Amino acid sequence: MQITLDGLQKHYGTYHALKSIDLAVPAGQFVALVGPSGCGKSTLLRTIAGLEAISAGTLRIAGEDVTRRPPRQRDVAMVFQSYALYPHMTVAENMGYALKLRRLNRTDIARRTQVAAATLGLEALLGRYPRELSGGQRQRVAMGRAIVRDPKVFLFDEPLSNLDAALRVHMRGELRDLHDRLAATSVYVTHDQIEAMTMADHVVVMRAGRIEQQGRPLDLYDRPASRFVAGFIGSPAMNILPGTVDPSGRAARLDGAEGPLLSLPMLLEPGRPVLLGLRPEHLRLSQEGGARFDGVVDHIESTGSTTFVKLKVASQAMVMTLARRLDVTLGDPMQIGFDPADLHIFDRESEASLVTQRDAPPRAGRA
Amino acid sequence: MKRYLLTAIGIGITGAYLFPLYWMYATALKDDAEIVQYPPTLVPQRPFWNVGEVFFGRHMPSYLWNSLVVAVGVTALVIVLGTGCAYVLGRARGRWVDALLFFVLMMQVLPSSLVVTPLFVGFNLAGLLGTPRLAVILAQTAKALPFYVVICRASFAGVPRDLEEAALVDGHSRLAAFFHIAVPLARNGILVAAVLVFLQSFGEYVFARSMISDDGLQTATVGLSAFLGPNTSDWHGIMTYSAIYVTPILIIFVLLQRRIVAGLTAGAIK
Repeated sequence: MQITLDGLQKHYGTYHALKSIDLAVPAGQFVALVGPSGCGKSTLLRTIAGLEAISAGTLRIAGEDVTRRPPRQRDVAMVFQSYALYPHMTVAENMGYALKLRRLNRTDIARRTQVAAATLGLEALLGRYPRELSGGQRQRVAMGRAIVRDPKVFLFDEPLSNLDAALRVHMRGELRDLHDRLAATSVYVTHDQIEAMTMADHVVVMRAGRIEQQGRPLDLYDRPASRFVAGFIGSPAMNILPGTVDPSGRAARLDGAEGPLLSLPMLLEPGRPVLLGLRPEHLRLSQEGGARFDGVVDHIESTGSTTFVKLKVASQAMVMTLARRLDVTLGDPMQIGFDPADLHIFDRESEASLVTQRDAPPRAGRA
Repeated sequence: MKRYLLTAIGIGITGAYLFPLYWMYATALKDDAEIVQYPPTLVPQRPFWNVGEVFFGRHMPSYLWNSLVVAVGVTALVIVLGTGCAYVLGRARGRWVDALLFFVLMMQVLPSSLVVTPLFVGFNLAGLLGTPRLAVILAQTAKALPFYVVICRASFAGVPRDLEEAALVDGHSRLAAFFHIAVPLARNGILVAAVLVFLQSFGEYVFARSMISDDGLQTATVGLSAFLGPNTSDWHGIMTYSAIYVTPILIIFVLLQRRIVAGLTAGAIK
């Protein structure tokens, strides 16, 4: 069911936690709220759940105004970071609890619990207590408790952050599968941009109580509206270095001694201070021609499939990732090439992107 | 080696701690001659047993019943009044809460003998001394409540807020989440605190002594003190009375303590 937030405000005393949030989640979508800690993403989720009172604005779920309703009248299910399983109840009791509160009869509860347990592979654990389960199993039970209710909306508050890395990647896929199978509407809070990028249809980047940018994952990657989003989306993070537009207006010089000149994909006023952004994966070892600059190898890390090269460029640090191995020693000079279309330019003052208007740059033919 | 030493020290301290209890039982079994014998005997040489005579001769059924009425009343009242208070203090944070807790603890510091006189005057004006056991219950409740609140507060603070929020999302109202989630999970603390309040009230002396004048409504502690006169020292009777009075308490405590320990290990969260 669709969720609509209109000018949502949240104040804690004098602290303004959510500043006029407008968001529309269409039915069946998987929306991720991302941002650094303290950005308000969890608060936003909790206002949707009804666990935090809304100071101003309206919240609609499936078209109904639920702004002032308590959680139990919103028909939402929530998976908590801590899982919040009731320790004094078995897995089956945990999962069936919401149904019990809705006064379903016992056979219906048992049947629906069975179905949900089968979906999640929990049949063998129904009689156990939460303390007898591993972290991954508890996580599944928390999910089961949500899906057994067949709610209008699923809310996830960093549900994977307590799992180890391998399990987290596995559960990512499983969660998304589940979402598709149930044709559910999900709002998912995470501080991990990879989770947001890989799972969500729509990503909302938040910062200091505001929505900084929202859109499809790859649109955020290709056209970050601000330096903040550019630095937040993508891993390793985008190289963002201060520079100044050169007198021609067609290139910018990186600040620092003997900073190289980078050609711009657009015309800017000469002398304007800017921030230049290049993603590590968009840098390559230079062939002849094209835009390029010189750097010195500072540090190398190789994972086998990927090589991370840390460079010094005009006394500033930069990272380049290559999908192959590299035989260089520290201190070697290196020529780095890039496609000017991949260059992101931000205003130094407002940190807003100056290139978002242009179309998506061509992505073909990349080594 | 160090472990044995610590164990030995532990046993020694426990022994010293429990010795008066043993001495009470031992003396209850000695006759008058052996009680004053020097050097004292550790084990009664000619044990004899006078339970029936002391129990009925000293009107213990009535005294014990009155003590029970007071203890049950106080415990019930404390649970009803204190649990919600402890919950709120466990959840709320801030300077006001700290100040409030400080005052609550301050009330605990005041000795009964200090407050009994103003209470007596107040209760007298309010006509409460016509129902003296109720007066004692009220006074002792005021005394025990801070202690109960402080102990329960800690166990409510140990119940993750997430669990109540999950219950809200699952369909509980605020109040129902408190009763169905917070209270069951804090039950160990509530149980411990309630048992201690019960035992404390069962042994209450000062209020009962001052407020109850009718001997038929008097409690067991005051009944015990009736043994002590200027010229009498019926140690055998005193110790028998004490043994009769204390033994059920000990049994209750031992039984419940087992449950409490079992509950503590079973209720582990996360």
